[in-house]
Amino acid sequence: MNTSGIDIAAFITAMLAAGFVAAVPLLLASLGEAVAEKSGSLNLGIEGMMLAGAFFGFLAAYSTGSAVWGTLAGIGTGVVAGLLFAFLTVTLQVDQTLVGIAITILGAGLTAFLYRDIFGRENPSADVALWHVHIPLVQDIPVIGPAVSGQPVLFYVAYLLVPVFAFLLNRTRFGLEVRAVGEHPFAADASGVNVARVRYIAMIIAGGMAGFAGAYLSVTDLRLFQVGMTVGLGFIGLAIAMVGAWNPYRIAITAVAFGLLRSLGNGLQILGVDIRTEFITMLPYIGIMVALVLLAGRTALPSALGVPYVRGRR
Amino acid sequence: MNKSVRFGIAAAALTLSLQVLSLVPAFAQDAELSQIAVVTPGSKTNQGWDQQAADALMAVAEANGLEGVVAENGGYDDITPLLKDLGAGGANLIICHASGYQTVCPEFAAESGIPVAVIENEAAIAEGLVSDIETQAQEVAYLAGMLAAMSTKTGTVGVVVSGEPPTWNFMTVGFAEGVKAANPDAKLLYSVIGEAAYDDAAGAKRVTEQQIAANADVIFGMGDGASFGMLQAIEDHNAANPDSQVHFIDVIGDKEAEHGDALLTSVLFDYSGIYQQMVDDLKAGTFGKQYTMDVKNGGVRLLDLPDDAAQEIKDALEKAEKEIVDGTITVSAVGDAEGLKAKLAELFPQ
Repeated sequence: MNTSGIDIAAFITAMLAAGFVAAVPLLLASLGEAVAEKSGSLNLGIEGMMLAGAFFGFLAAYSTGSAVWGTLAGIGTGVVAGLLFAFLTVTLQVDQTLVGIAITILGAGLTAFLYRDIFGRENPSADVALWHVHIPLVQDIPVIGPAVSGQPVLFYVAYLLVPVFAFLLNRTRFGLEVRAVGEHPFAADASGVNVARVRYIAMIIAGGMAGFAGAYLSVTDLRLFQVGMTVGLGFIGLAIAMVGAWNPYRIAITAVAFGLLRSLGNGLQILGVDIRTEFITMLPYIGIMVALVLLAGRTALPSALGVPYVRGRR
Repeated sequence: MNKSVRFGIAAAALTLSLQVLSLVPAFAQDAELSQIAVVTPGSKTNQGWDQQAADALMAVAEANGLEGVVAENGGYDDITPLLKDLGAGGANLIICHASGYQTVCPEFAAESGIPVAVIENEAAIAEGLVSDIETQAQEVAYLAGMLAAMSTKTGTVGVVVSGEPPTWNFMTVGFAEGVKAANPDAKLLYSVIGEAAYDDAAGAKRVTEQQIAANADVIFGMGDGASFGMLQAIEDHNAANPDSQVHFIDVIGDKEAEHGDALLTSVLFDYSGIYQQMVDDLKAGTFGKQYTMDVKNGGVRLLDLPDDAAQEIKDALEKAEKEIVDGTITVSAVGDAEGLKAKLAELFPQ
């Protein structure tokens, strides 16, 4: 390991900041996915929804010069994609796996086509102003303070959504209905819950969050769009929702752990630690797989996950 | 029908089939050249690896009155269906523009008789069917390394790559040797974003930020789409720290128009020369050889240095370029990841 010439405190701060920032799109996507899965919908279209949110979010931010409009456009795109998923799987009873894969392929193809068609050979950046929040006292804490403070406002919004989703799922009537519909849709229906309505709303939330995650990448983080820029983050988000057992706090911990493992891997490479690069870059993925294996048998999938509900048919 | 008659028919059919199969390559090469195609793994507008090939192919097609076809975003999996589509569409030459296509394309050529060109696979060369493209970009990367070593104020330069394909590895080693030659005390940081992370702009941004935090003030980035993330990290840093500017050395394409403030130079690839040579060889019936892009034939070169670059640096690079061409300086050609690691450990022991 070679640390000569490196300010270790600043280096660790950068590593922590990179981990926390990398976790944000995963956190947003997996929070939404948790709601969808809890309601019985396995949203394999999450990657396509993220990509679509990233593209339309960037397009709006580029056109208006506003990060707010960009983010709203990304969320709106995700909502539309979520509605499409719900219409096909809930109303038309099409297989969820097929619809999810189709939406992912559609998202990748459509965004590549539109980006090329609109921007041609250009790869422009969106000239948007981002509001960075400096938290008094916190920013003065050595090492960790500068990593947590001074981030764009949506960074904090993402982490604040964790207790909001926990409240939504565990302390509201809607949350109870979501869980009931995902476990026993027939019983929920018998007790007066409109299964289709709940699954529609859950998919609107999931789609909106996936779109938000994509827009966070393209508008807040990078201020640019690249074809295929989500590089599988949606699917990682799906795995994180499962590893986190659909609990928003556990999901947040898993997403942050993934982000930190990734930045730790980068840090180890920079310090010249003598470990094969392939192993270092695999670190976060190995972490997810180990967690999935350790949790196997301890967490039960929602009983009705992936199963279409038809009233009167068991 | 008795046994001997059946045997005779079968033998005749087998002989006929073998003759037809043996004629396929000759037929393909003799066929009138009307369409040339390139398969790129990524986007044809990424101002990098894919765009340079796509642009060169279209330019050569136009210059020769041929139809040019670019099949972009081919990915890194089996592209056989795509190759079959191109063949069915009338392609007389398919350039397989990724080292990941080294196996599938020669197999397709043998099966279909349509000539292909592969990247960095000398062993696949077959007369009339398969040619190999070698990019000796390590020589220009050596010059880029010298430039980085002579430009750094912190004494630390970084290399960020989106994978470890042979093309990136060749350049990394060349760059490292250039750094060492110009400044033996300089420190070099090396980071891989991920396996085939060519479009991972966000990951590239994070890695670059961490290298900057580790004191690197010149970043040599090989990323394709991911390069935009590296530039974003550098431009954000420069905006927030006017007194400690970081510079970027790009590869393959020219991003000067959009990112001139952060860009120190770029290792430019120009495929048009060898693509033209391939068209000429196909017409002459001499296709099936190795084509090399190097400093000598201008296939690879450095983007013009910024106007404010010190004369001392310009002179040193000019001298080194001449010495590369006349053979006084020999740059190592290391394409495999293990060899690369060994070379970096030898040049920059921890």
